[in-house]
Amino acid sequence: MTRLVLWVFLAQILLLPGCIGNDGETLPSESPRIALVMKSLANEFFVNMADAAQTHQSENSQQYSLIINGIRNESDITQQVSIIDQMIAAQVDAIVIAPADSKALVPALARASQAGIILVNIDNRLDASVLSEFDLVIPHVGPDNKEGARKVGDYLASILAAGDQVAILEGIVSSINSQARRDGFEEAANARGLIIATIQSASWEQTKAAEITSAVLTQHPRLKGVMAANDNMALGALSAIKQLGRLDEIEVVGFDNISAVNKLVREGEILATADQHGDLLAVYGIEFALDTLAGKEVQYGRKTPVDLITREILQGRD
Amino acid sequence: MLRRSLTNQRIEYVYIFLSLLLLVALFGFTTDHFLSLQTLSAIMSQLPALTVVTVGMTLVLIVGGIDLSVGSVVALSACIIGTAIVSHDVPMILAVLLGVFSGTIMGFSTGYLIARFSLPAFIVTLGMLEVARGMSYLSSDSQTVYVGSDIQKLALPITGIGISISMIMALLAVISAHFVLTRTIFGRYIIAIGTSETAARISGIKIRPYTIGVFTLSGTLAGLGGLFNLAYIGSADPNTGIGLELSAIAAAVIGGTSLMGGRGSIIGAFIGVLIIAVLQNGLAQLGLSEPSKLIITGLVIIFAVLADRFRRGPNRTDT
Repeated sequence: MTRLVLWVFLAQILLLPGCIGNDGETLPSESPRIALVMKSLANEFFVNMADAAQTHQSENSQQYSLIINGIRNESDITQQVSIIDQMIAAQVDAIVIAPADSKALVPALARASQAGIILVNIDNRLDASVLSEFDLVIPHVGPDNKEGARKVGDYLASILAAGDQVAILEGIVSSINSQARRDGFEEAANARGLIIATIQSASWEQTKAAEITSAVLTQHPRLKGVMAANDNMALGALSAIKQLGRLDEIEVVGFDNISAVNKLVREGEILATADQHGDLLAVYGIEFALDTLAGKEVQYGRKTPVDLITREILQGRD
Repeated sequence: MLRRSLTNQRIEYVYIFLSLLLLVALFGFTTDHFLSLQTLSAIMSQLPALTVVTVGMTLVLIVGGIDLSVGSVVALSACIIGTAIVSHDVPMILAVLLGVFSGTIMGFSTGYLIARFSLPAFIVTLGMLEVARGMSYLSSDSQTVYVGSDIQKLALPITGIGISISMIMALLAVISAHFVLTRTIFGRYIIAIGTSETAARISGIKIRPYTIGVFTLSGTLAGLGGLFNLAYIGSADPNTGIGLELSAIAAAVIGGTSLMGGRGSIIGAFIGVLIIAVLQNGLAQLGLSEPSKLIITGLVIIFAVLADRFRRGPNRTDT
């Protein structure tokens, strides 16, 4: 008898999630819940993104509710996977994710897709071959990193002369953002006849970028430019160049337009950076998810604008 | 007995120093410009933060502890200094004191928790690693704080002398810690505690103040490391110093410090720091791919410790 009661109890627990899901569908007044899964909420870029998403939600509180989660450091893939599993358990309607890794997150997202959750990929793009392995199609909403880097590289090349040497600092080598930006830099350099002296990873970090830049400047004393795949590495490269007292001879460009670098572009110490309107990226993703949930016809992803930021452009805005 | 151990220690420096020279020679052969003044000055500007953090770590290891929080404390100190200067217009000297003192407080709290409640240092400092990292995000509002060139003067070589104020301070830390460890009662007692806490207690040494003292020192030195990191880069990054504790432990162990406590050398640890800095700089000049750099760095650390083990003989199991 007790055993029977136990079985009924267990069955109820197992059926419970299904019931809640059905209720949600039959009640049109209940607004969808969207989970925003971010990378490091210690990085200014993602903090701004989360803030903008929060603002968007409070302005549209009737339309949807929002859960924001972030990981502690940018390469903590495990933590992001467990956040996705928690969101599946929480039965959200859509997940908008900035993946910490382009491949490693796919299996977890496949689980979410099986649970009927709408998925939108923002920031760096998930790897197409791994996605197809899981028979997944996840729309990507985000900037064209390669195109942005090409614009920045092009601007650097317009200041330098053909035959000048440049160095490229890439981020964590497995990141597709880093690879796309590196490719964009390379393309611009090759098109304009710049010589790429070396390509090295500084793992997105300032201190590492400074260390590598000072070593590279020793090995390649005639270096004329450093192209950094993010602004933190550009700051590191700049400090190494300053330390050697060669600020007048070497130009630095970055990517992201963080406030510290925006200021230095204005002052002329950093030549250029790229603004991918990162603060709006999550909002773009959420809007895309809402459109999909509303059954609107959506394309396979959306391209968001990337702008070149230079001193002239900033002064023009004032 | 004392005389013999001193001679032993000198031989130890020679061996580690030879590994360093070997590494320098290797990079000298494989790159075009490694053996240059510019490489030397690049390395010198990178050294101060890791040096002071390693000095603290070595003392902690000798007393039989470990301090995993130092990388986060470096970030905390840098962020506090940066935010105080930029957002609150605090005079630089005061901001620096605040930053370094934040390290002191973290170190003292760590030491107090460990000594008062007999907690394992590994877990307490692991907790402090998270606390300090969280506090550095909080204090910097999770943003990179650009401080500018005023603070960078600390890291620029003084004309005439050729080394920076940061480096001079770091060298002073090395020399005074070496003196404290080899010539003072404090030093002798922490070696005794690290060798056998029970024996030290039986012979009448009060353990608590020494444990707290050593961790407070380590925290303060990490705070100083934050200042040097900020001076080197010119901006405070709340993500800085991740994994720095591992470099510091590696440098200390390469320099002949035992992870089990009771044995260690500050000068050796400093040479360990030099080995790590030379390795980073040389590999960057070679322009190897990231995977090869990581593998080579790991292997060099293992070989350095292995060489140390062979020289001591296979029966010593205290490393």
